[in-house]
Parts: sequence; structure tokens; C-alpha cells
Amino acid sequence: MAKPKVAFYWCASCGGCEEAIVDLAENILPVVEAVDIVLWPVALDFKRKDIEAMKDGEIAVSFINGAIRSEEQEEMVKLLRRKSQIVIAFGSCAYLGGIPGLANLFTRQEILDTVYFDAPSVVNPNKILPQLATDMGEGEVTLPELHECVKTLDQVIAVEYYIPGCAPPPDLISEALTAILEGKLPAVGSVLAPQKTLCDTCPRKDSKPEKISVSEVKRMAFTQIPDDKCFLSEGVICLGPATISGCGTRCINANMPCRGCFGPSKAVKDQGAKFLSAFASLIDSEDEEEIKKITDSVIDPAGLFYMFSLPSSLKAKFFEREV
Amino acid sequence: MGKTIVIDPITRLEGHGKINIFLNDEGNVAKAVFQVPELRGFEQFCKGRLAEEVARITTRICGV
Repeated sequence: MAKPKVAFYWCASCGGCEEAIVDLAENILPVVEAVDIVLWPVALDFKRKDIEAMKDGEIAVSFINGAIRSEEQEEMVKLLRRKSQIVIAFGSCAYLGGIPGLANLFTRQEILDTVYFDAPSVVNPNKILPQLATDMGEGEVTLPELHECVKTLDQVIAVEYYIPGCAPPPDLISEALTAILEGKLPAVGSVLAPQKTLCDTCPRKDSKPEKISVSEVKRMAFTQIPDDKCFLSEGVICLGPATISGCGTRCINANMPCRGCFGPSKAVKDQGAKFLSAFASLIDSEDEEEIKKITDSVIDPAGLFYMFSLPSSLKAKFFEREV
Repeated sequence: MGKTIVIDPITRLEGHGKINIFLNDEGNVAKAVFQVPELRGFEQFCKGRLAEEVARITTRICGV
């Protein structure tokens, strides 16, 4: 019997998701033995035409990481969708928009102006911007169009499963690969990670008081947190209550609060709004003015509460401003 | 006008790249163009973020 075909592809991403697969170390060997990898730009020399030449549905599973930021990425994931039986949004960027999704706080024009004209290290006296097509004399070169805003993978194509994380930890990837190879995948639409909140699995949960009361929000840079204390109980924003577990509490172990890269539980549509609601219930005051003082002490709530999930949020549309 | 060789994407490296090589009638390279068809805009979206958060944001420029 022919081995199932598997594709790996990246969109607006950093390559950390590719590293996560390499981090499987020797556990990758039985996988490579069981499947044929038909696309993996970081490691293998297959091109788009190789995928185009395939029959629809010929690829068993495509693992797609990165957010969707350009026309080329959108075309490529639509092509992979056609050729694949299962598409997995792999990592925070494909699943929720991730760090590249913070770009949705700005218009495309603001981003281009900064990157090509205004950044202190830029010297561009002729105000040259990337063009969709440029005549080089000997011939034309083309670039894909940047979208006005960043999208999650499932805002562009249908997605069967999600593997969260920035980057996804090797144990979750291994479990997902095993489930695929053994045909034991859960219901379509599932997030392949434990659904408990991060707080439920936090090594610091015993230090959490019965009721957390926040009377002042403190900045991590100016606060010393003992390495066994709940961040929220110390007044530092931690997205644990609005984030699922499975990450191995990597940030918490490094004495850094959670920023939500695993996304919210399945029942929650908007991670930042979920955190906002959790946070509001922790405010230690009944006095409106005092409450306002406490909420005003949160600097950059959009960047903090939506660090990894802005394009997936209900608010994403508010940032999609008209130019 | 000679042949054009397009390598898109450039593979087996981290990142998105594309190379167009324009050959002259003799088959020699007349011009070669390297392009990065990828822009995320860290320079812009780091603005307004808390300074202590930027380390966790900019590590996602390249995760390799």
C-alpha cells in the first residue's frame, strides 16, 4: 500500500513551527518511515507545481503554519486545501493569527510607511516601495500583494484540526501524529490539546488565594515576583485564566506570565474578551472612580490580552480600518 | 531575449525567498534578482507594546 502523503507549509511565520517538528528528534523517524513528505520548503525541494500536479485529495494531511498575510499565501493554502483530505492549522499563527496578527492594530499603509520610509535604519531617498510587478529591463519580476489585514488559516480555508502553541510542544505534535497514523482523530474542529485552563495546571496554583483581588496592575519590568507566586495575585497580567494548557508552562517556569499562545478553550470565541471579563471580576473595588484608576493602570491592553489571538478575535474587524 | 530561470520558493532554508535569473542569448547570466515575498511588519507593530514584552514578540522574527 502506498504511504499516506503529508505536506508541511508555512505562511506568515518565523520557522519556529518547523523547528518544533525537528524537535521531535528521533521520534520523527517512525513518522518519516510511515508517510511520504511531499512538501516542506524548509527541508525539501518540492515546488508549487509538484502540488498542482497532484490529484485533489491526494495528500492525506497538510500541516500549515503561519498567518495569512499575502495573496501568495492565500493561493497556496487554497491549493493545499484542494489537494488534502485533512488540513491542520499548526501553531498559534495559523490557529489564532499569532504575533504577526498584532499587525492588525495598524493599517497596511502604516506598516509599509514604517518599514520602507520611517524606520530609523532605513535609507530610501527615492521612496521605493515593493511593487506587484517591476520591469528589470531583461524581464519582469513580481511580488504577491499584501492583504490589508492578517487572517487566521480558518478565515481563508476550511480547517479540520488545530494544534496550538508558539511553537507547539513536541509531545502534542507526537500525540497528533500518532492519532493521525492510527486513524484515531477526534471530532472535526477539535483543538488537539488539553482543554483545562493553564491556571488548572499551573505549578503556582497553590499560591493562588481563594479570591484574587487586584488593586493595582503592575508591570513585569518593575516587579519582582517570587518564583512560586501566582502572577495575577501579585497584580501582574497573566493570561492563564483565558488560555488552555498543554504548553508545559514554559513561560511560567521561566518566571514570565502567560501571554496566551495556546488560545482559549473551545467554548470561548474571543480570548482577549474572555480575559477582560476574568480580569474585571478580580478588581478589588466597588467605587467607579477607583475601578477606572485600576483599569487605566493596564498599559496596552490590546497588545497584552490579544498578543497571540488578535486576528481570531471578534474585535479584529474594528482594526480593519478603511484607508 | 534569453531564457529566465525562476526559483520560487527557495527551499532548504528558513524564510521566504524567490530568485529570478535572466540569461542572455549566449546563455550567460545577464541579471539575477533575489526577492523576499514576505512582510510581517515587526517595525510597526512593536510600537505601543510594553518594552518588557518586546523580547517575547521579536523572538518571533525568526524561530530557528
